[in-house]
Amino acid sequence: MSKTKYVMSGGLAFSENKDMEKLRKLSLKGWHVRDFKFMGYTLEKGESADYIYSVDYRTVNEEDAEEYFDFFTSSGWTHVTSQGNIHLFRALPGTKPIYSDRETVVEKHDNLGSSLKWFTISIVTIILLLCLGTFISTGALQTTITYIAVILSVIAIPATWTVLTIYKNKWKAEGRIGLVRFMKSLPALFLILGFTIILFITDDSGSIVGILTSMLIGAVALPLAIWCFMSLYYKWKA
Amino acid sequence: MKTTEQLTDSMFNIMAALTKPRHGYAIMSLVEERTHGVITIGPASMYTIIKKLLKQEWIYLYDGSEPRRKTYLLTEKGKEVLEADVKLRKLMIQLAETGLREAEE
Repeated sequence: MSKTKYVMSGGLAFSENKDMEKLRKLSLKGWHVRDFKFMGYTLEKGESADYIYSVDYRTVNEEDAEEYFDFFTSSGWTHVTSQGNIHLFRALPGTKPIYSDRETVVEKHDNLGSSLKWFTISIVTIILLLCLGTFISTGALQTTITYIAVILSVIAIPATWTVLTIYKNKWKAEGRIGLVRFMKSLPALFLILGFTIILFITDDSGSIVGILTSMLIGAVALPLAIWCFMSLYYKWKA
Repeated sequence: MKTTEQLTDSMFNIMAALTKPRHGYAIMSLVEERTHGVITIGPASMYTIIKKLLKQEWIYLYDGSEPRRKTYLLTEKGKEVLEADVKLRKLMIQLAETGLREAEE
């Protein structure tokens, strides 16, 4: 009988290196990744071994899959598992990295961000149109539009956050320091903006802006709360 | 895409290995062997660049009968691009060597 357990991922867009380092440490303790699982990895208990891990993002057609995985096998990397366009590999320490130049690393971040980017751009556009709609409508229609916009924002905020992080990683790989610094300061800017809005509209809590703001704050707080809960839960279970 | 834009080092190395039909693994070993292990190409970089060169039509699928080991070869256009880049790189080396000689005098 094999023993398995689950560990959380920090989110590959946010903490790829940390995740890979964590998987290495777990392998040293005899816990090896078997699969991707919802927001994390399934590990299986085995012999302790020193493995390094790497992840690649790529849509691989069926007819190209054999060739793609053969490149890795030939270079000493064992394919562990794939989920959608995310592929996890492991190797013995000292194996040459799967990316050997900066130009292709930049494209790796592009691969990760490409599908999410269009999803996010379209959803943000819809929200903006809906917001415009609230200005030209009244009564029940206005309320409905507002609620749709708020619900979509709950999805759009984490998505935008992820896309921005992926682009930050990409710019970092390209060495565009200025853009990276700007991105790092964004969360702080948003916080300041959020607090300012709260301060100005607390006495006017019935307004659309009030509802929108509190829902936006909820959209940030909710995933954060889920994430905290999940990590605490799995820590406690382990 | 402009052909005047300089090739990245990895593209240059892979194209240099594709003057004869070779599959991915053969390209990686050849580059490593001929540069005495100084230059290596990672599998993810390799795959990215093969796809890119195919799209540019600088290489073509020479033999796809064995899906695990497809072989590729430079196209005429690819050969021209590589030759132009070799010329450019030679100039760059001359520039640096002349500079270094001056420094020694």
